[in-house]
Amino acid sequence: MQHLKRSINSFTFLKRSKTWSYQRFCATSSESNEKIEIPNYIPRSPTSILRALSQTVGFDRTAAHFKYHDDPYLIPLSNIGKRSFALAQESGRKSAKWIRQQHSNLFQHKEADPPIEAFMPTKIYTAESEVNTSDLESLIEHSQVTDAILVYTLLKNKNIEIPSNLQLSFLELICYHNCEEPLDEDLIEERWFRQSERLKERPRKTWKDNDLAEQLYHEIEPKDSKAHSCIIRGMCKYYQAEKAWAIFQNCLSNNIQLDVHAFNSILNVVMLIKESAELRWQLILELLTHMKNQQISPNLGTMNACLNTISNMGVKNAKDYATSILTEFKKIGIEPSLSSWYYVLRTFCNNRGPVSHVLVDIMAEIEGKEFEIRDIKDTFFFVTAMDVCKNHLFDLNLAKRVDALLHHGENFNLIGDSFKESTYYRHYFSLLVQTEPIEVFMQEYYDQLVPHVYIPEPMVMEEILKGVEVSGQIEHIPLLWSHMICFDQIYRENLLNAIVRIMIQNKPDISIKSQEKLPEQFGAIAYDIWSKIEEKNELRSKPMIWSGKLLGDILKLLCRINDMEKATKIMDKLANDQQKILGEPDFTAMQDFVKLCILKKQPSKALQCLQYCSSIGFNETRDLAKLICHGFTLDENHMKKLAYFVGSDVIEEVEREKQTALSENLKQ
Amino acid sequence: MNFLPIIQQNAPISMQIVRGFRSSAALSSVQSGRYKITPKRDRPLTYEMANPPHFIAHRKAWNSWNTSNLRGELRTAQCITEDMFIRKFMTGTWHSLVLSEVIIKRQFNHIRIAALIKQGISARKMYFLLGYTEEMLSYWLQCPVTLELQTVADPKDVIFKYI
Repeated sequence: MQHLKRSINSFTFLKRSKTWSYQRFCATSSESNEKIEIPNYIPRSPTSILRALSQTVGFDRTAAHFKYHDDPYLIPLSNIGKRSFALAQESGRKSAKWIRQQHSNLFQHKEADPPIEAFMPTKIYTAESEVNTSDLESLIEHSQVTDAILVYTLLKNKNIEIPSNLQLSFLELICYHNCEEPLDEDLIEERWFRQSERLKERPRKTWKDNDLAEQLYHEIEPKDSKAHSCIIRGMCKYYQAEKAWAIFQNCLSNNIQLDVHAFNSILNVVMLIKESAELRWQLILELLTHMKNQQISPNLGTMNACLNTISNMGVKNAKDYATSILTEFKKIGIEPSLSSWYYVLRTFCNNRGPVSHVLVDIMAEIEGKEFEIRDIKDTFFFVTAMDVCKNHLFDLNLAKRVDALLHHGENFNLIGDSFKESTYYRHYFSLLVQTEPIEVFMQEYYDQLVPHVYIPEPMVMEEILKGVEVSGQIEHIPLLWSHMICFDQIYRENLLNAIVRIMIQNKPDISIKSQEKLPEQFGAIAYDIWSKIEEKNELRSKPMIWSGKLLGDILKLLCRINDMEKATKIMDKLANDQQKILGEPDFTAMQDFVKLCILKKQPSKALQCLQYCSSIGFNETRDLAKLICHGFTLDENHMKKLAYFVGSDVIEEVEREKQTALSENLKQ
Repeated sequence: MNFLPIIQQNAPISMQIVRGFRSSAALSSVQSGRYKITPKRDRPLTYEMANPPHFIAHRKAWNSWNTSNLRGELRTAQCITEDMFIRKFMTGTWHSLVLSEVIIKRQFNHIRIAALIKQGISARKMYFLLGYTEEMLSYWLQCPVTLELQTVADPKDVIFKYI
């Protein structure tokens, strides 16, 4: 409903119609002499109307992402579900594509007019295919690397001459992709969920040495500056710094003009060329001077490359270097992108170093702006900024500002991938739960974002439980427990122990309205824990080992709701599987159970408990026996058993106590 | 028994001229879209099946939504064969999972396919089939295809009555 209201408000013509009146209409019609000013033409793209429409609808946090099917059975409720559902759908897509490619002769019909290439199978090339240069051209255009390489070799074998500009664009293609087939452009889920981005953090040489790219580079004669720049950029992209540096130096000494991108790439791998921070800085300066001498104007990429190298130095001076680079580039009017700020954060906010408030200054600079992607590392900014807020500054207000910026305009597109998104929210949530009051946290953040936007990892869940424990707001426990089941976190012992501990230590107060139903709910949760784990243990090859403490606590919670049947099950488990259980339960749990037995008049169960206690060797077993004697009128058989477990002197003692109590009563 | 020769012999000539028009109950009975009652009354029908065709637009709606049947519109025949293909493809791909008729709606160049699906396979497998069906059909029909499925926990839920 809110959306609808918002969308109606955003149609300005409707707003205007409210103030429309007959008088005004007459007034305007009488002034017909007024010159009509035709507004300037606003250039629109084919998708502008779609954008305008989508702006009228806000983001619905209570619904699953629209890539999932809108059906309760098909909506994912855990992180694994989110991942596997989206990828399963895409794998279905991929198999359809595979079938189309395998039987491409069947898919040659033309329904659409003009034909849509995306629906057609791609042309299949083999070693026998008849090829010409236009094939290569179209393959390069569609960046089909493997096929392009095949066609190129075929053309070479047939001695068909390839024009030099085509050769150059082919070189560009294979340098850019390192002679490997790139991931298809329409596989968005695979991009979103894959983890290789994280690995790329640490530069590792992946350039294919002496492969086609290098051969082709050596073959091209005469080489112009583009070919040199191209191979340097390719090598730097895949961290083959040594060779790139050699070619680069060669070009410099031969006075070959390189383009700005080649310089940027070399600046990016300075840390692989020189060892110490001092030498690296020297090299950066040297390269920038070369650019100046060759009259190459630097761009955003130059600044980001410099900042990247500086952020990897890890020395004190790095901060000064970064500041000087920033001021220098500001002077020539280059506006930093988010990735520049990401590098700045990495330089300034080292966890081992002193606390730096540079993020506050950055936020002052960029707050309220909308960003588009300008550098590939732009997507690293938000996750790093949140990391700094949580781990470096521990500043809630700043974190909220960062979050506001992320949700401003279309900035959310820059969150990156699923890994970055969940890291971002992990930091945000654990900061919130530690600083905000728990009721505010639950209402304003947890209820809003969980589970469709973010599903807390076990670590964060533990922090939330800790928050609940500290505040004593136990009415959130049932919700958290049901979420833990959904998120598949109930087999983590630390979480189980935490939730049980909270339930034991905070006995619900029935007089408070919000806690009225809690005792029953707690009992249900306790039994849920028991049955879920037992169920799972039967299936799993490596069962979870029960701890005596946990079982005792579950027993205690069940005793609180006077559920004899369920409590008996737990007691049976304790008594029968003694050797499989780690540690021993709390003695108070045993007391509670015996009291429950007395209430329900079940002497044999109470005796079973006594037997268990004596075999464990609790010091207080005698007290328990006394409790039983007082609570029940035991028959001959039971008496014998009791005497067997704790010795007949206890019975005599109790008898004596009873006698004295009786005589005292008589006296009165 | 064939009475026709006897009637022809005995009938006057004027009656022989109007020959060709028959209005007996047996001939005017219509069968398509109707289901026979079984002796044991145990044939399950969905709501859709329980309503014969003359209730279309009264109690139930069309299974194919498009404009190609209107006067002067294009692709009448293609549309029908495509719809048949889509239905075969759906019931074959979602094998023994489709519990209802397959509804096909066309808007511009976009085809939306709706059906009720039994929760007989895991959600993950369903997503695989979803992606596969959408992609495969859009390759075949060369236009965007969207599946709009609803899952049903118990197949008995869709049964409207037994006849």
